Amino acid sequence: MAKIILENIAHTYEPNASNPIFALKEMSLSWADGGRYALLGPSGCGKTTMLNIMSGLVNPSHGKVFFDERDVTSMITEERNIAQVFQFPVIYGTMTVFENLSFPLKCRQFPEDQIERKVKEVAEILNLQDYLNNRAKGLTADQKQLISLGRGLVREDVAAILMDEPLTVIDPDLKFRLRRKLKEINDKYKTTLIYVTHDQNEAMTFADNIIVMDQGEVVQAGSPKDLFERPQTTFVGYFIGSPAMNLYECSASSKNEISIGVNSFKVQTNINNSKSENLKLGIRSEYITVEDEHSDNSLEADIIEVEDFGNYKLITASFDSFKIKAKVKRELDIPSEKVILKLPAEHCCIYEDNKLI
Amino acid sequence: MPKLYTFLKYFFVVLWACFVIAPFLWAISTSFKDFNSVTGGATYIPWLQFEPTLDGWSVLFKPGSQGGINIIGPYFNSIFVTLTASLISIVLGTLAAYALSRYTFKAGIVKNNDITFFFISQRIMPPVVLSIPFFIFLSSLGLLDSLAGLILVYIVLLMPIAVWIMVDFFNRVPREIDETALIDGCNPFQAFFKVVLPNSVPGMLVAGLFCIIFGWIDFFFAFILTFTKVQLLPVKIVALNSSITPWWSLSAAALVSVAPLIIVAFIVERYLSKGNLSGALK
Repeated sequence: MAKIILENIAHTYEPNASNPIFALKEMSLSWADGGRYALLGPSGCGKTTMLNIMSGLVNPSHGKVFFDERDVTSMITEERNIAQVFQFPVIYGTMTVFENLSFPLKCRQFPEDQIERKVKEVAEILNLQDYLNNRAKGLTADQKQLISLGRGLVREDVAAILMDEPLTVIDPDLKFRLRRKLKEINDKYKTTLIYVTHDQNEAMTFADNIIVMDQGEVVQAGSPKDLFERPQTTFVGYFIGSPAMNLYECSASSKNEISIGVNSFKVQTNINNSKSENLKLGIRSEYITVEDEHSDNSLEADIIEVEDFGNYKLITASFDSFKIKAKVKRELDIPSEKVILKLPAEHCCIYEDNKLI
Repeated sequence: MPKLYTFLKYFFVVLWACFVIAPFLWAISTSFKDFNSVTGGATYIPWLQFEPTLDGWSVLFKPGSQGGINIIGPYFNSIFVTLTASLISIVLGTLAAYALSRYTFKAGIVKNNDITFFFISQRIMPPVVLSIPFFIFLSSLGLLDSLAGLILVYIVLLMPIAVWIMVDFFNRVPREIDETALIDGCNPFQAFFKVVLPNSVPGMLVAGLFCIIFGWIDFFFAFILTFTKVQLLPVKIVALNSSITPWWSLSAAALVSVAPLIIVAFIVERYLSKGNLSGALK
């Protein structure tokens, strides 16, 4: 186990091009030993490249990779002692489940009794104990993925387990159980887990720390709460949360006040120093409340739709030419045509050039 | 409707089977006939329509001094040359194909696909183009009229087939399997030998089948590059021909020479379906 440090890492797949496109733009990042991380971002944002750089499958065009103090940049995958699970199950089809699970230990010449004990322990965690003597080829897709996962878990001394959307092929119930299992494993063995996903719910429920990436850059790293409450960019606000953050172009009317069309709102951000024309207000639909009367920071909106999701209602309404979404308690009575919505100042985020101020 | 479909399916399968098996039946019956039975009009049923005889077969095994051609020596020569050349072609071809599938080669404008095409182009050329270069090549090495010389030439002829089939096979094997093996602690060679290779057996068997077929049936180079010391089966069988075509012994020789291919095909047959090839890994 080790602390993983990426120092000024950047990568392009076309190093000889005159104007190469960088899959990963220059960045520095560190992953604490024993941490539980989620790497979140849309497809093609550089998540897999980053994982492959850590595992040594890809040599970065720039920068260095450290495991603790050790520079591993030019070290081959085999020497890095990393486990990686891919999106689709990779099994050794000619081997049995036992042989598959014991393969990483055999490659590293662990003693037989230790291999046997560890494989059985991991098989039990993954509910594979009844299949140990079966050919891996004949199992179902999710069982195969469990084997892939198991090969990562049998080694207690791995620097980290990197998972590249590993639960895509697994059914929702098992997915939930496995995520919990992974958390337990992380608690028990203190193995660093890095989990790549484009599903924010998966990221939020799994990780202590989430790193959000977009277009080859890390746009925000923080706890699920930070990401939800104080998205550092409009992209994070839009990408994290369901529904996405409400975002409106606005203008500064005084030090702590902005206006959207004819409506003015107080905010807690000092916007006096902002020189940019490009100001936006962002607010989570969870923080918008339905009021009976007008007060500070309220607006009147025409209801377009009210959707009942069982545990909450989602109001979609419009004011001026803008749309607004509010998530409210299910029991709340909602008027049929017009509704007064309040945007609490403490939850209003102001973005200048799409960055939080 | 499903019944009609089943009927038609079986009808065409049976029709096709008859079409395939007819020449064999014909050859079998002819091999047990003598001159009069062959030339005296079509007959099919032994003992009833013609008197079976082993003359056609005995010629194949009698020494030259007794009017036979004794194919046993050439038969084993053919087996030895074909199997050795096929085996070497498969081993070298598999290694080359893996490299072509997994690593990027570039020399000027020549890239991986061009190298693969270069291999295949050896088979596109008419064999006659290669006959003089091969003759001079073997002659300079002192390998004319020798088993080693033939094996060398057959490797050149068979390896393109092996490379071609195996490149396609490896291209369909997900790279993640190699990467997983590296992550699990193998070096690139161990990843190939411990993980990729055991999963590639179906592809190698298919490539092997094609190599054996093409090696076994070659007459042209066996004829040009050998004289008296070494003879292969196809050359020996052609030597049977004379002013009166001995259909009975030619039929017997055809059956004897096709037998090994049928045995090999039966063994490899279950790996021939595409599903088996692509399903080898995932």
